[in-house]
Amino acid sequence: MKGSNFSYLVKQGVVSVWHNRMMSFASFCIMMVSLLLIGLSVLIAMDINIVIGSAEEKNEVLVYVDYKTDQTTLNHIEDVIRSNDNVSNVVFYSADEAWADKQEEMSRYSSEYSKLFEYLDENPMPHTFKVTIADLTRINTTAEQFRSIEGIESVTAPYDYATFLVSMRTTLGLIGGAVLIALIVVCVVIVYNATRTSVFSRRKEISIMKYVGATNSFIKIPFFIEGMFIGVLAGAASWGLTKLAYEAVVSFFSEDITLWQVLGLANLIPFESVTWIVLGLNCLAGALLGALGTVFSMGKHLKV
Amino acid sequence: MVELKNVDVHYKDGGRNGVDALNEVNLRINDGEFVFIVGNSGAGKSTLLKLLMREIVPTSGRVFVNGYNLSKLKGRKIPYFRRSIGMIFQDFRLIPNLTVYENVAFVLRVTDRSNKYIRQRVPYVLNLVKLSDKAKFYPGQLSGGEQQRVAIARAFASDPGLIIADEPTGNIDPELSYEIVELLKDINRCGTTVIMVTHEHDLVKYFGGRIIKLKNGSVVNDTYIGGSDEGE
Repeated sequence: MKGSNFSYLVKQGVVSVWHNRMMSFASFCIMMVSLLLIGLSVLIAMDINIVIGSAEEKNEVLVYVDYKTDQTTLNHIEDVIRSNDNVSNVVFYSADEAWADKQEEMSRYSSEYSKLFEYLDENPMPHTFKVTIADLTRINTTAEQFRSIEGIESVTAPYDYATFLVSMRTTLGLIGGAVLIALIVVCVVIVYNATRTSVFSRRKEISIMKYVGATNSFIKIPFFIEGMFIGVLAGAASWGLTKLAYEAVVSFFSEDITLWQVLGLANLIPFESVTWIVLGLNCLAGALLGALGTVFSMGKHLKV
Repeated sequence: MVELKNVDVHYKDGGRNGVDALNEVNLRINDGEFVFIVGNSGAGKSTLLKLLMREIVPTSGRVFVNGYNLSKLKGRKIPYFRRSIGMIFQDFRLIPNLTVYENVAFVLRVTDRSNKYIRQRVPYVLNLVKLSDKAKFYPGQLSGGEQQRVAIARAFASDPGLIIADEPTGNIDPELSYEIVELLKDINRCGTTVIMVTHEHDLVKYFGGRIIKLKNGSVVNDTYIGGSDEGE
């Protein structure tokens, strides 16, 4: 194909958007709403994941060691804990610090308590390793591994909290995944039908092209360009709408500071940080949906 | 050249019997001829045209058009075969969102002609059909007769060896019908073979020439008659 003919076909594709403006506008609106729903759902799903993730990071397994344990053994225990692959952070809290903190805390309630402390001959508090677990699904096994270390007095772990978060993440993950897949399928079907209607309204034009000897690719190129052009426009428009809708959702939640703190919403994805990715993906998805939807819709009409 | 050898076309209607659209048709149309094909509804005219355009293939027999054996022509070769013929339809079949100029230029784009050639050829054929002043009009802005002249210009633009006209006067005023056939005759005088399907007997009698009559899927008459226009 000559370059002049190719540029003619590209031009025809763009001009056709205007010539068939009613159908183009319908396709544009359907694609824009579809991409908006999918984009917003993905962002919200990512946020929910982050919120649960930040809640998970607040877990703390407490490993207690007798306060008489010597420093060498303590160092050994810390090394063993740190070497566990499911440990993301370890903080040592000495028995002396714990005892001092406890005394200060008790004194706040009553000065009488400080007298009681004088009767105690030795520090009743143990040394503590505050361990943050990386993978909550393995918290039971990891706690058991800590218990088996020589010199460990006891281990306490937030099993219920961990189980709740793990099951919530699994459930929300499944629901989110199912909703997203359903949304994508519905959007693809709607967009395909919109492009099919658009192509159907021009079936006569396609058959004329076939009668005068146009090859299938010659006929498809302008439709491909047209679908892609509408798709990119719809992607860009849906990016703007996604930004508005997402920022509205974030500002709705941020108005209630308590809820914000409880849910750890400080970690929500700021739209500015993903704006180019959302714009790029929206335009790419729009272009693919528009172009492929149009070309696949043409199949039947090309058999003349 | 167009040649049909023992051509049968049988349509399956979903039932047990189906329909015999053409039976044992043998036909030869030489280069440069002007042929009228006549016949009542259901005689097989449309089926014959579909065969010549390679819209369908015969159930049995062989069809040759412009050197192509249409019975064996592969799907991807069909566009290239169609470029060797010019089609004119009763309902004009112009692309509505292209101007007159663009409609005619379209067939040249399809055949990958250069912009320079298109700029020379399109005004030339529009001048032949006396539509130079309507080049920038859209089909919807033209009368039926003018639209058919655009269709003729489009069919002739790529200078095909054969033009097939399917009831080209069916959708236009009777007084303009003669003008349309005259235009086709002019093209034929330039050496292009023209096959025109019509049911307008007055036109056939007026222009005369070779008349092929179909009835119930068979050629029942293939004859030459003198036309009334011969002395004009």
